[in-house]
Amino acid sequence: MELATERTVSPPTLGGVKVLGLHKSYGKHAVLHDVNLEMTEGEVVSIIGPSGAGKSTFLRCLNYLEVPTAGTITIGDSTVDAGARRPDRACLDRLRRVTGMVFQNFNLFPHLTVRENITLPQMKVLGRSRDEANAVADSLLNRVGLAAKSEQHPARLSGGQQQRIAIARALALSPKVMLFDEPTSALDPELGLEVLAVMRDLADEGMTMIVVTHEMHFARDVSDRVMVMADGRVLELGPSEQVMTAPTHERTKKFLRAVLDR
Amino acid sequence: MFAQIASGAGMTVVITGASLLIGALLGLPLVAARRSAWSPLRALATGYIDIVRAIPPITWLFLIYFGLPQYALRLDSVSASIVGFSVIASAYMAETYRSGLLSIPRGQWEAATALGLKFLPKARYVITPQAFKVTLPAVAAYAISLLKDSALASTIGVHEITYQAGLASRATHQGLLAFSIAGLLYIAMSVPLAVVARRVDRVLRRKLEVA
Amino acid sequence: MTFVDQWISWLPALTPGLGVSLTLTGLCLLFGMPLGLVLALMLEGPVKMLRAAALIVVEVGRGAPALVLLYLLYFGLPEGGVTLSAFATGVISLSWTTGAYASELFRSGLAAVPAGQREAALTSGLRGWSGFRYIILPQAVRISTPPLASLAVTIFQTSSLAFVIAVPELMSKAYALGSITFEYLSVFALTSVLYGSITLLALAFVRLAEQRLSRHL
Repeated sequence: MELATERTVSPPTLGGVKVLGLHKSYGKHAVLHDVNLEMTEGEVVSIIGPSGAGKSTFLRCLNYLEVPTAGTITIGDSTVDAGARRPDRACLDRLRRVTGMVFQNFNLFPHLTVRENITLPQMKVLGRSRDEANAVADSLLNRVGLAAKSEQHPARLSGGQQQRIAIARALALSPKVMLFDEPTSALDPELGLEVLAVMRDLADEGMTMIVVTHEMHFARDVSDRVMVMADGRVLELGPSEQVMTAPTHERTKKFLRAVLDR
Repeated sequence: MFAQIASGAGMTVVITGASLLIGALLGLPLVAARRSAWSPLRALATGYIDIVRAIPPITWLFLIYFGLPQYALRLDSVSASIVGFSVIASAYMAETYRSGLLSIPRGQWEAATALGLKFLPKARYVITPQAFKVTLPAVAAYAISLLKDSALASTIGVHEITYQAGLASRATHQGLLAFSIAGLLYIAMSVPLAVVARRVDRVLRRKLEVA
Repeated sequence: MTFVDQWISWLPALTPGLGVSLTLTGLCLLFGMPLGLVLALMLEGPVKMLRAAALIVVEVGRGAPALVLLYLLYFGLPEGGVTLSAFATGVISLSWTTGAYASELFRSGLAAVPAGQREAALTSGLRGWSGFRYIILPQAVRISTPPLASLAVTIFQTSSLAFVIAVPELMSKAYALGSITFEYLSVFALTSVLYGSITLLALAFVRLAEQRLSRHL
């Protein structure tokens, strides 16, 4: 995989993330106000907060599923300047190439088998041969514990299994950063656990991850830092232990009380 | 030429309108039978609907117009086509009603039953208003397709648009023009139906949301 | 059971017509379905001219009765200097009808592919044509298949209209037989049985295939 370096803006360590002054508004209605986030390679950040806080929007801006109104996004050595009217196609491609995304509702391709879900993007995007792609798929399926399901169609699998496959599909393109958009919200708690276990392994192996989540245990125990958002703003961002046990912001205290004391 | 072809529009409307009306009425007992708890009746209604729809309209018209006189039931071409299209419309309307009923969530029936509503008030106040919203656009869509099917009446000599276009084309040797006019007339006639359906649909939806 | 004997004796006169009806239907599907897909892509595509052209073809194809289209081409093509057999005219005309209706079904199939699939394709790096070709289109085609199959059955029924331009299909043969025997009721009843049984069989097959298809989705 080649990553051309055309524009380099004070790069964070390779594989890191640097988001500066991200704004997003629909017409007059602003949904993200000046969001900043810097991460080093291998770091895991959880984003928590009440619904409607802009957590998912922020995450989806990072790979341009939503187009931010202003700000710059640097991931690895790819920078996209949202101020530009139409972002450069090549920059966008690189941004999406270095990020992998896991959706709340999996979004596996239902017409393809599990194996094809993982091999097709490799062959079409990275130009790998079928054999290479298959080898990668097999090792990833082993890693998420689903080697036996490779020839099935996604609809036959449980939600937890589908989500683990979705993670494998994203990993197959060797992303520098993994984006998780409420990966366990559509799952029964028990099935959520198997997905969280895979994510925990991934974090232990040094993957850079940004996780929008309602799983407070994951936020506290697995992630290095926690970012709390409300009303499109970052309320606080700090080491997990500190944010989760001794938050400084009143709004954060209220939110944590509401989710922890039930 | 336009005047001649347009002179058939009245007959096209009569055949479409009459068949739609009769079909809409016949469709009611038909859908009741189709959803009956008594399985022989249900099978009969289902069989009728499936068989009627499985036979091409032109075959129905010929069966009625050329076939029935053998048993002394001689219908003029207009009556024959209204009878034929009414039979066809009844089957399609029954299916339209049925999908309207199916679109109502089970919970609505259950809630109405739990509240102690008997069949008629349940149908009258809970189900019909909701089914109506779904059914009306489908009825309009069917009306448009019936309008186009009515062109077949020309094959048994009904003086409607297509028949007049045929006469005009033979008289002037300008078939391309004659049938272009006919085609555009049908399209023009279906536009108001489509617009009305959309508007009624929107008004009804708004009403339901407010209520 | 005289009428059964009668029907059996008539069958040889009608079956060639049924063959023509089925051939006509087959050819219309062969040309009409790809035409429908192309029209749908033109309608969904970014090029304004293509969109406008496709819109006219589709709106006339769906808005005017199939019978009128048939007459239009039958009388219109020779006036434009193109002389084709009645059969070829029937194929062209009914393919137009098929394509117009199919394009709408393909379009609603495309619209029915969940937005998340497009996003997942994008985040997997499959953008533009390759995302469309490998992710969106196969799902859209699969979603459109049951209604397209029903359309195919409808087209079989519509092929009966070719009677009016003297294509020797089932309806023509039946009419000819009726005018010889004067047993119109019985002849058209038999014709109805032929059309009806093929249609019902085909629909049953469509329903079965639909169930098998939907297992993966």
